[in-house]
Amino acid sequence: MYPSLYRPCFQTFHQRKVKPSGRAFLALAVASVTTGLVAAGVICSCAPVAAQEQMTPAAASSLPAINTPSFTPLPAPSLNFFGTPGLLDMPSAEMMPDGQFTSSYAWFGGQGRFNLSFQALPWLSASFRYTSINDLNLYRFSTYYDRGFDLRLRLLREGRNRPALTLGLQDFAGTGIYAGEYIVATKRFDTAPLGSAQPGRLKISAGLGWGRLGSHGAIGSSGSRVPYDPASTGGGLSYGQWFSGDFAPFAGVEWQINDHWGVKAEYSSDAYVIETQDSNVFARNSSINLGAEYQLSPRTRLGAYYLYGSEIGISAQIQLNPYHPVTPLAIPAPLPVVPRSDWANLPADWNGDWANSRKTRLGLRDQLELLLAEDGLLLESLEIDSNRALVRFRNTRYRSDALAVGRAARAMSRMMPASVETFRMVPVRSGMGLSAIEIRRSDLEALEFDANAAETLLAVSGIGGAAPVSNEALMAVDLYPAFSASVSPYSSPAFFDPARPFRLDVGVDFNARYAPAPGWILASTLRQRLAGNVKGGRASHSQLPHVRTDQALYAQYGTTLENLYIARSWKLSSNLYARSSLGYFESMYGGASGELLWKPVSSPLALGVEANYVRQRAYDQRLGFLDYKTFTGHASAYYELGNGYLMKVEAGRYLAGDYGGTFSLDRTFANGWSVGGFFTLTNVSAEEFGEGSFDKGFRFQIPLDWFLGRSSRNSFGTTIRPVQRDGGQKVYVPGRLYGQIREAHHASLISQRARVWE
Amino acid sequence: MRFVPVKSAALLCLALLSGCSQGPEGPSLQLEMFQLVSQRIASIGSTTPPERQPLTRAGLDTVEGAYIEVTLENTDIFAYLSQQLVRRDTNAGQIVVWRSEDNITLALRSGVLIATRGLGDDLLSASAQVVGTRPGPARGGGRTFQIRGLDNKQQTLRMACALQDLGADPVEIVGILYPTRHLKERCEGGGGVVQNDYWIDYRSGRVWQSRQWGGPTIGYLRIRQLTI
Repeated sequence: MYPSLYRPCFQTFHQRKVKPSGRAFLALAVASVTTGLVAAGVICSCAPVAAQEQMTPAAASSLPAINTPSFTPLPAPSLNFFGTPGLLDMPSAEMMPDGQFTSSYAWFGGQGRFNLSFQALPWLSASFRYTSINDLNLYRFSTYYDRGFDLRLRLLREGRNRPALTLGLQDFAGTGIYAGEYIVATKRFDTAPLGSAQPGRLKISAGLGWGRLGSHGAIGSSGSRVPYDPASTGGGLSYGQWFSGDFAPFAGVEWQINDHWGVKAEYSSDAYVIETQDSNVFARNSSINLGAEYQLSPRTRLGAYYLYGSEIGISAQIQLNPYHPVTPLAIPAPLPVVPRSDWANLPADWNGDWANSRKTRLGLRDQLELLLAEDGLLLESLEIDSNRALVRFRNTRYRSDALAVGRAARAMSRMMPASVETFRMVPVRSGMGLSAIEIRRSDLEALEFDANAAETLLAVSGIGGAAPVSNEALMAVDLYPAFSASVSPYSSPAFFDPARPFRLDVGVDFNARYAPAPGWILASTLRQRLAGNVKGGRASHSQLPHVRTDQALYAQYGTTLENLYIARSWKLSSNLYARSSLGYFESMYGGASGELLWKPVSSPLALGVEANYVRQRAYDQRLGFLDYKTFTGHASAYYELGNGYLMKVEAGRYLAGDYGGTFSLDRTFANGWSVGGFFTLTNVSAEEFGEGSFDKGFRFQIPLDWFLGRSSRNSFGTTIRPVQRDGGQKVYVPGRLYGQIREAHHASLISQRARVWE
Repeated sequence: MRFVPVKSAALLCLALLSGCSQGPEGPSLQLEMFQLVSQRIASIGSTTPPERQPLTRAGLDTVEGAYIEVTLENTDIFAYLSQQLVRRDTNAGQIVVWRSEDNITLALRSGVLIATRGLGDDLLSASAQVVGTRPGPARGGGRTFQIRGLDNKQQTLRMACALQDLGADPVEIVGILYPTRHLKERCEGGGGVVQNDYWIDYRSGRVWQSRQWGGPTIGYLRIRQLTI
């Protein structure tokens, strides 16, 4: 599942010795077309080079010709105009490195394509695209905008003598304007290094396309295909027409000359019927496209192209990978654990009589509070007797709760009397103890410098449920009531309005929070817009109650009450969590909300129910309401599938009064990255729902510490829906339980076990 | 009309926009971002880090306590680390933890690097082929390195090491020549090769100087003992 961890810098290919034989291509009949494109000489000249010894020494100079093990990323394939690995307009069979998250923009002949792609599994990737076509004077739009999703599956991994084989579904939902399917093969070869230490790379691709990719130079047909219909609401899976209609071969070659430069050539099987015959977007005079690309930085690549014998094109691509942070995370070193044997040498040092003195225990509490504060941890309570100490604390600094637990344990080892042997750490959030991690102090002392410290400590530690706070607990004195306030900038985007695809409001949020007691929160945010154009957005013509599509009406007001609510979170039993909230939850809804969540610490499964009675807020977002009120609620099942995959299934009633279910799947990484998608099917018909047919979208979170390399609990992220409609919509309630609870539960702690020692 | 310098104007704008926060919870994303940007802008034009001043033995003689000098080869950044803790555990060798003023620590077991903290993608733990109280590696054999990296998880690297004694090779450290032997530890594994060098004085039982690998991101560290 994960990329192999250590690879020498120069070893980039699966195969080391390549003999260019026709056999490599025989697997696919379609490969024969490559001969028309690729000068045989290119293949021949590269062959001896590819057969060269691996790990070419830089030079026989004074420097030893060795490479240390490295986290060097696999070289990412370059992307095509659709944001997937490939040539210019045509795809290749390459997969991106696992977890790769890319954004790219390509433009030619008045057509712009903005693409986001994610390599969800080593053999599966998904893409989202937002397209603009100038002067496509059909369908009433002067500039035509469209959205589409692609899916690519690797059928065959590249072998020594066989090419990689990939199946692709382009714009596969509904009768998309770019709808097309393909099977493509790609074989890669080493070439001589030119101007850099590393060898160049030659990639030859050939494939068969259907739909748009079978519209030029068809060599056969498999059934019939419905032409693109812009009046359709789209959204549904059009699997009935996949791989049907005419099919045509395409092919291309990419030569990455060195670390920086690459050139591409392809034969396109896309006739651009709509753009060149039905309309006059550009002239298609040739099927051959050419281009050159430059790798500006390890994550950025730029390209310039000449397409279809008439058009100049450009592209820019940014490729991020969760496994390769912009700045590696560095956390200030902890103080080492000092074994008690170093300082408690007298039998009296080990005496536990001190525990009888409340004053001593209070002194220890105050001491611990100060030590924890140095690490950004807030002491909630300390329960202590002569040989055990239980600390409940809040972590405000570290993303990893395992790390916070380790820091708490170290702090205790520094100040607890020698007789205290058992440490129990309980991470607390919203007043709820989330789990209890028990570590013996002797283990902490013995294992800090063990060769395998993390695994060894885990083997002798316990992770279980957190018990309620006992009467014996010494509560921290100054923690409640707590008041916090902040002034911070905000930005609020609106996507995909045909008149202006990207709108943005920016301004200042004034936020105040008051916590009178553990678990209670009274919070409010006042929002002052300083600039923006969201208010110029589209008016809604939805047939359903306008539960989400009146965004432009809400954006008319500059000074608003974003939220004002009171909430309480608490535990009903060791595995059962509860929340209730009352107030103005978000800019569009206010009301009452209750939630119950069952989540044993070590269980991958969690079950929840949530019920909300909400009323739509007045457009001015002060204290008033509109007439629309509704009951909305869901039963949810959450499941940790392993390897960071989280699945969630919900069923219930949505804001517009529609009934149905939502399925979502997210891939999370131990460093806080997360990328996922969701869709909702309800009893609203596709016609009633409108464009898109049903609610769907994707979301991502990129941790701030991944960029900065220092501790932060904040993330960038957003949820993107191709179309915001009124069906399948939920109310946003602050403080939902699952997210905050899971982070300090078994699976999450285990995946970050090594960080206990950081 | 007075001319407002660009930097001051930018700072003023940011001070207004970046806002502030108070209270027990951490700052919001927007706040953190803006604070970061304002810090960056404020640091524009500030002095570059000081050049490495030449050390003199006379100067070192006035220093109290044990210090090592550590240089990261990748960046040529260096620091002086003071001895924070000396201890033993159930494994062979003596552990010394060295700490810099900016909270970076190195842990050495009989002079062999077994952990780093605060450098980023740290060496979480490592085994060392040390025997008894003998300084430096005493033999070849397997070594494991636990390194935090990629998605911040622990990555295990197992290497097979061979130890070679290159003979007497005295090293001079700020005016004192130490009668050391040069030992080379060559480790293979994880698709690469690591070469650690130690200059060991067996009479005083010290590794006076070494060049050791701290992981894929950290790279090689040059360590030399300035004072004892």
